[in-house]
Amino acid sequence: MASRFWTQGDSDTEEEEEEEASEYGDGSEAGAPAGEAAGAAAMSRYLKESGNASGSDESDSQRRVVKSARDKRFDEMRATVEQMKNAMKINDWVSLLESFEKINKQLEKVVRVTESEKVPNLYIKALVLLEDFLAEALANKDAKKKMSSSNAKALNSMKQKLKKNNKQFEELIISYRENPQSDDEGAEEEEEEDEDESGSEVEEDPSNIAISDMERDDEDEDGDEQGESGGAWEKQIRRKDKLMDKQFMKDPSEITWDLVDKKMKEIVAARGRKGTGRIEQVEQLTFLTRVAKTPAQKFVILLCVIAAQFDVNPSLLGHMPIYVWKNCVSNLLLLLDILAHYPNIVVDDSGEPDEHETQKGADYKGTIRVRGNLVALLERLDSEFFKSLQCTDPHTKEYGERLRDEPLFLVVAQNIQDYLERVGDFKAASKVALRRVELIYYKPQEVYDAMRKLAEQRTDGAEGDMEGAAASQAADGSKGPAPFVVIPELVPRRSTFPESSRNLMDALVSLIYKYGDERTKARAMLCDIYHHAIFDEFPVSRDLLLMSHLQDGVQLLDIHSQILFNRAMAQLGLCAFRAGLIAEALGCLSELYSSGRVKELLAQGVQQNRYHEKTPEQEKAERRRQMPYHMHINLELLEATHLICAMLIEVPNMAAHTYDKRKPVSKTFRRLLEISERQTFIGPPENVRDHVMAATRALSKGDYQKAFEVIKSLEIWKLLRNKESVLEMLESKIKEETLRTYLLAYSSCYDSLSLHQLTTMFDLSEAQAHSIVSRMMISEELHASWDQPTRCIVFHNVENTRLQGLLFQMADKLSILVESNERAFEARTGGTLDGLPTRRRGENQDSSSLGRWQENFITSSQGRQSGGYGGRTGYGGRSGGSGQAGGGFAKDRSGQGQRGAGGYSGGYASTRYQDAYGSSGRTPYQAGSSLRGSQGESTARMVSLSKGGRV
Amino acid sequence: MATYDLTSRIAPHLDRHLVFPLLEFLQERQLYNDDEILKAKIDLLSQTNMVDYAMDIHKSLYHTEDVPQDMVERRVDVVARLKSLEDSAAPLISFLQNSALVDELRADRQYNIQMLSERFQIGAEQIEALYQYAKFQFECGNYSAAADYLYQYRGLCLNSDRSLSALWGKLAAEILMQNWDVALEELNRLKEIIDSKNFASPLNQLQNRIWLMHWSLFIFFNHENGRNGIIDLFFQDRYLNAIQTNAHHLLRYVATAVIINKRRRNMLKELIKVIQQEQQCYKDPITEFIECLYVNYDFEGAQQKLRECEQVILNDPFLGKHVEDSNFSTVPMRDEFLENARLFIFETYCRIHQCIDISMLAEKLNMNYDEAEMWIMNLVRSSKLEAKIDSASGTLIMGTNRINVHEQIIESLKNLNMRTYMLAKNIVEPAQAAQAAR
Repeated sequence: MASRFWTQGDSDTEEEEEEEASEYGDGSEAGAPAGEAAGAAAMSRYLKESGNASGSDESDSQRRVVKSARDKRFDEMRATVEQMKNAMKINDWVSLLESFEKINKQLEKVVRVTESEKVPNLYIKALVLLEDFLAEALANKDAKKKMSSSNAKALNSMKQKLKKNNKQFEELIISYRENPQSDDEGAEEEEEEDEDESGSEVEEDPSNIAISDMERDDEDEDGDEQGESGGAWEKQIRRKDKLMDKQFMKDPSEITWDLVDKKMKEIVAARGRKGTGRIEQVEQLTFLTRVAKTPAQKFVILLCVIAAQFDVNPSLLGHMPIYVWKNCVSNLLLLLDILAHYPNIVVDDSGEPDEHETQKGADYKGTIRVRGNLVALLERLDSEFFKSLQCTDPHTKEYGERLRDEPLFLVVAQNIQDYLERVGDFKAASKVALRRVELIYYKPQEVYDAMRKLAEQRTDGAEGDMEGAAASQAADGSKGPAPFVVIPELVPRRSTFPESSRNLMDALVSLIYKYGDERTKARAMLCDIYHHAIFDEFPVSRDLLLMSHLQDGVQLLDIHSQILFNRAMAQLGLCAFRAGLIAEALGCLSELYSSGRVKELLAQGVQQNRYHEKTPEQEKAERRRQMPYHMHINLELLEATHLICAMLIEVPNMAAHTYDKRKPVSKTFRRLLEISERQTFIGPPENVRDHVMAATRALSKGDYQKAFEVIKSLEIWKLLRNKESVLEMLESKIKEETLRTYLLAYSSCYDSLSLHQLTTMFDLSEAQAHSIVSRMMISEELHASWDQPTRCIVFHNVENTRLQGLLFQMADKLSILVESNERAFEARTGGTLDGLPTRRRGENQDSSSLGRWQENFITSSQGRQSGGYGGRTGYGGRSGGSGQAGGGFAKDRSGQGQRGAGGYSGGYASTRYQDAYGSSGRTPYQAGSSLRGSQGESTARMVSLSKGGRV
Repeated sequence: MATYDLTSRIAPHLDRHLVFPLLEFLQERQLYNDDEILKAKIDLLSQTNMVDYAMDIHKSLYHTEDVPQDMVERRVDVVARLKSLEDSAAPLISFLQNSALVDELRADRQYNIQMLSERFQIGAEQIEALYQYAKFQFECGNYSAAADYLYQYRGLCLNSDRSLSALWGKLAAEILMQNWDVALEELNRLKEIIDSKNFASPLNQLQNRIWLMHWSLFIFFNHENGRNGIIDLFFQDRYLNAIQTNAHHLLRYVATAVIINKRRRNMLKELIKVIQQEQQCYKDPITEFIECLYVNYDFEGAQQKLRECEQVILNDPFLGKHVEDSNFSTVPMRDEFLENARLFIFETYCRIHQCIDISMLAEKLNMNYDEAEMWIMNLVRSSKLEAKIDSASGTLIMGTNRINVHEQIIESLKNLNMRTYMLAKNIVEPAQAAQAAR
């Protein structure tokens, strides 16, 4: 808001103050200010008001009485600078170094308090001072020699630190050097002067003010009058502005379209040039929007403003300042207003429209073509929002504040979508719809309701202050020197959220399915799956996943979509678990955990890998992919779910195949179990893993009560909405599996066992126990049968002798050998023998099994690499730069290009999760999908989540 | 018992005329209010040309002799249209009625069309008129004429879409005339076309398949070989997919078909899987019966469900068909279903028991003790059951039927030899052939 001072004097305090005040003054942001920060904010508001009351008079004395937290920080900083100056005088580098570190810490605090990205000039000044002094000291070799060793050491480290530090602020330092303030004056005085300067400027520089709140506008008007009558202010206006103002402040009637156009081109041409202040450019353009002669011109200039605003933050990692973002939102709304008011303006990004197209006035009836792309703007806006959330610490208040801006974005998105639909550009509308979907899909109904309420409250409250959007509107429409084109507020400033998020999702998603391109559709589908999963609609979301054949093609998607896919799978797993579908849940989650890179796969944090370091670029890229905190899936819950599912399936499985360790259902679980068994002393469980391991031990002994108690004591259950029913489900599952484990493990010790005894042991009803035991008998897990009159289980001990067991194993291995022989034969000749349909069929199956083979080969080779032998190659295959080579390597082996060069295997460390879904045989999902997929029929769907599909 | 009535779910997938038999059945069973059904019938007829019939129903519904004006008008309209269509199709019809001339037609469609247009001035227009006329006849309820005309139209038609519609029309007409054999033929023809044709969208194809399955219910539950037919059709992957996607209620018929068909027991596993997957989407006593028996092994529950099943079958238009036999009527499907279901229960029960009390068994099977003993004895004698009756204690003792370990191993290794031999042969033979060629 007060950005126009940025490149000017040291007016930070004032400036920040005002920004803050205007924000809180709006009342919209003030939501629920709590704690210390809120107190400070309120105080500053008070200060601001008092400052206003006294007008342009010096209000410094008042300020000394009550100090805001911000002032305190500044005072501290100032004191440090003083210390530094003293140290310089006595050439004490040790204390100078100390002060330097101190000031850096203070800087952090100041920045936090002022809630801005902007570094106070005071600090910059100190840096410049230091730099100069350092250069001086280094130049003076003799003095250096004379220094004490500790002093010299400090000097050297200072040299390095300063160099590093100054790089961050290079620009500011340069600009400061260009435009040095009176730095030999005392800090106190200086500040006073600064305040004086800025204070007066606030009032006497009205031409620059376009975006500001109502309060400020009143002031502006005052200033205006003053300016016109007095004229004394002119000398204080800075060079650049002076130029502009001279041109435009003359007389409204003298401003022509050409003049504005020329000026605009001039400003735009300066973009990116050295020495061009980015913020300044925004201001200048904003000013131009007010003097634009035609709506179309205004539109074009607004587009430039928005582009300039996006330019404000040059770095890929950082995000644009929040108030700039908000301004950007309001500008976009303004654009839409223009479009709504003048339907003859057509936005188009193809071709170069006529230079003078925008000269046509408001009364021009024909179509006016303007170059621009609303969707791109919106997408940029969205990614800036996303980035700002990524960069903010989720445990601070700012994060919450930032999240409150979400409805604001949704409003813009909704309006743009409406506009595009009106124009008939459904393809673009579907893109916008996707952005909206992506903001909504992860919200459970409660969160959605909260957002809806927030959006409503906001509009119910102070009318016309949607984050200064409406305010600037008002400023534009009614105030200011000369807005030549008045645009009424047409576009709704509040979004209309339907009652249930499902309805909203359905509407958006169906639009996307109809008009979107492949990627949009795939993403929308994933969001839809995720959303259904949150709402406990497992069958629906499973059917969606299977019908869409998404698993076949994930590895071809971009990384972001793959992350989304992983998230959807994780959520589906959780959903299955809540529904009591243990096997399905494990099927969804086990691949996620097999690599041990859950955080990475879900983009919820960076995991350090023991075997290789990542390059900085990789790390940066990964950091950019991170999900903002509020979208995270709770990892503990996920892990608990996975491990509990694995436990419920694996423990009876282990009991059934005591001597046969060939077929673990969940290798991860087995590994963990082995680790925990190796421990000599087992302490009380601490983390999720310990809990599950403790439960496992109890379970395998047949102690269901203890197992359940341990599981129940986990903290995470309170995260579940239907905690009671889930725990109930879990208890009955645990009972059931304990019974199964018990029977499998100890059946050889019994000749018969009465049903009654079982029911008392495991606290099951007779019907339940009967049903469980019967199922085991039918599936021949348990060699036993019922004796109906006595209600007993009679065991037939058919324990094979060791020799017999070995014979069975040999038989299995022999048949595997024959099978692989046949496969090899078919692989060799299969291609040449065509014509015979049966043959073809065989070939088909063959190719899929071939894929699996090679997949296995890859995994084994990968395993070797990560096993320390070929750290380098493994590294190469993973690093971003040589990702191509790595991808190629994988591709060669797999022969079918399933991995796709580059892509995921490039930047991303592991493709295994996807791969496993994508390649044949590894997971139950795939087994069905490859078969179904070969039918080439999109309505055909695989229905089986269980092994092998229905074939 | 109206809760399990599927008419409302099935009807949208049927032709108007095909819904009639269903409504007739409902009326007979008196599941709903008579008036409601009559109203539904009038609704149904309002879009057809069977105005006279609609008038009759109207009269019986409101007990008056008056008929609403719009019906009278519609009647006049229908008669007029019939006339005009008849006129436009007349040349072709008169040609087709002359058997001597029809004999001149050959298998070659192009030739026929050319001949017709050259010698009789019958062009595409008349052929189109024939289609319209046939459709009109069908709408009027004159199914046999419609079927004839459509058959002949298909011989002359070049447009494949039209031909498909004609085939649907013919199928409907044959079903309504209860010519099951012919209808089955038409059904298979239609199925081939649907499977092979390239549809505009997969969704269309899916819809066609679902229609086909619904229409086929009429045939399969009436044709003598329908019981195999229904399993063959419905268990085809694509059709099973269609059921799971958009027509879950058909699971009832699939389940029933599997239960009453003794020879297709191998489908049971697949059926159980499907039923389990779709249990959130569709559930009725018949699927629940299977679930109880094969998923939960809850024999009490299965008994319970079986009793409900009986009602469901009796109230289902396809399953609950009465057969009048001399002086008493039976519902063959119900009897078979119950018999087979009982056998299923018994079989499963025996598989997991070593020793069963016969009196308990008799109770479970809804028989008295002696009957049950007889029944079991017959099973044992026909060596369907490996068991012995212990008459003194009144129990049935199951024989152990474990396979010997040796047998198991030999079994698993038996075919390996053969496979390896085949493999070797396959490798050697081409090599020899290549050598011989050289």
